[in-house]
Amino acid sequence: MAIATSKKLESFSNFFYNDGLEKAGVRDLTGAIESLQQSLRMDKNNIDARNLLGLVYYETGEVVAALSEWVISKNLRPEDNIADDYMDMVRNSPSKLEDINQTIKKFNIAFNYCRQGSLDLAVIQLKKVLSLNPSFIKAHLLLALLYLKAGNFDRAKTEAQKVLKLDTGNLMAKRYLKEADNMLLPGDGGKLVSDVASSGNDEIIRYNSGNEMIIQPRKQSVLTKSGSIWGIVLGMVLGIAASCFLILPQRIASITSNNDQKIADISEISDSKTAQIGENEQKIKTLEKQVDNLKKEAEGYSGSKSAAVNSLMKASSIYMNDPSNIEDMKNALEAVDLDTFENGSPEVELRDSLMEKIGPQLAQPYYKKGAEEYKKKDYENAVKDLAKAYQYNKKDVTILFNLANSYKEFGDVDKAKEKYDIIIREFPTSQSAASAKTKLAEINNTGGSDNAGDTNNADIESNVNNADNTNNAGNTGNTKKKKNTENTSNANNASNNDNAENANNTDNNADNGENADNADNGGNPEGDDNANNDDNNDNADN
Amino acid sequence: MINFEEELKKFKPSLEIEDAEDIIYNQDLDDMSDVLIKLLKDAKQETESTKRSK
Repeated sequence: MAIATSKKLESFSNFFYNDGLEKAGVRDLTGAIESLQQSLRMDKNNIDARNLLGLVYYETGEVVAALSEWVISKNLRPEDNIADDYMDMVRNSPSKLEDINQTIKKFNIAFNYCRQGSLDLAVIQLKKVLSLNPSFIKAHLLLALLYLKAGNFDRAKTEAQKVLKLDTGNLMAKRYLKEADNMLLPGDGGKLVSDVASSGNDEIIRYNSGNEMIIQPRKQSVLTKSGSIWGIVLGMVLGIAASCFLILPQRIASITSNNDQKIADISEISDSKTAQIGENEQKIKTLEKQVDNLKKEAEGYSGSKSAAVNSLMKASSIYMNDPSNIEDMKNALEAVDLDTFENGSPEVELRDSLMEKIGPQLAQPYYKKGAEEYKKKDYENAVKDLAKAYQYNKKDVTILFNLANSYKEFGDVDKAKEKYDIIIREFPTSQSAASAKTKLAEINNTGGSDNAGDTNNADIESNVNNADNTNNAGNTGNTKKKKNTENTSNANNASNNDNAENANNTDNNADNGENADNADNGGNPEGDDNANNDDNNDNADN
Repeated sequence: MINFEEELKKFKPSLEIEDAEDIIYNQDLDDMSDVLIKLLKDAKQETESTKRSK
């Protein structure tokens, strides 16, 4: 009896299990849950029904309920139970279990917000829950309810549809969907009946889409309303006119302004570049000039030096062949500056030895010429010739003294000082040294005044004719000048060379006789001058 | 028209994993056979008590 009853109950249980399995197959999860629960009420030992119930719970997002069913199933049948596999599936992925737990907690928080009236917060929280577990049916339903409450019927409808996609037999979702559909115009997606009814204007339709109110014109054929066409045409014409008269000029002006700015910038850059090019060209020209000058200088240097050496060699050769051929040697050395040789070089030794032998003879004509030019106050040529004479004969203090005087008259005071210094340094005992000191003192004291210059002229003329004439040393002024003039005439008179003749010449005074000798002996060394001075003294006696 | 408050009452907090043990222990597992057995026991006790009273 008991067995028959038990079998009967098992049969009922299996019936409900089969019903639940069938509903689960078509995703009627709610119906499946009810059938499976009924099956377990008939027979709590129906393991298949319990395991399937757990699986359906799991699918709806009720993970804890699913685990409970599987645990009980495992207790009822420890061996050969598919619940082991289900529980292992959950246990083997702790992160998934944690996510599920977090989802459940967040849902409970959202639910509390709902009960407290914080619906906006609840919506936010439920969105988070569904982002974690999109198959959580209870969350979808609660969210749909909140949307319905807020008037977001289309969103409520969407949520309800999502629920029905997961659980086709969910009655609550069906009710929410129906409610949302009732609030929206059926068959005309999203329009509210109330809004359409309140819209008195036939040409527009107003409806709410979520929180937004959409106002759109009723669809009408443009051909049926010619006024609209003319309005459109007029609008286009006005638009084109506005663009032509308002927008285009501004646009053109803007583009022109930009272009002008660009042109100005480019021209500025161009100017700077041009200036730079000009500077560079100037630099190039300067550098080219420098190069040319340096080339010329180098050529001139090498040329003059080599020419000087050649001339010196030629003069030496002439001297070796014929020591008396002074004229050829003079010509050979005519255009050569013998001071260009470097000290210590073989050319200097050759020059010095050659000049020691023929220097006085070479210097003589230059000295004479220079003296003439000095008299004519052609100081420039006098300086040249006397300098040449000094080059050939550096031991003649007379040449040096006259050269110094010429420099002084020519205005080259520095050179004059230099030469006076050489006289004082190299010929300290000569009369010229004393005169040089006087000249130097004059130069230093007078600073080159005109009167001083006249005085000096007188002295120098005197000295040209008689550099070592001690009798004239103290003479100054016009008296001396007259004497010098006479002396000059006497200097050109070869017949005055003889003292005897001087003695016979009653017109000539003692100074004339002295000067005549000195003029002829202008190139003689100082020792000769002294000899002449003796003669002069004799003349003075005469 | 759906009444929000009434609808909200139909929702219950979801079961959390920490509560799983309590749920399992406290779950009513009685099935139809348990009910029948209890019914028979009750009927038997009632019969016996009636006999005693007589």
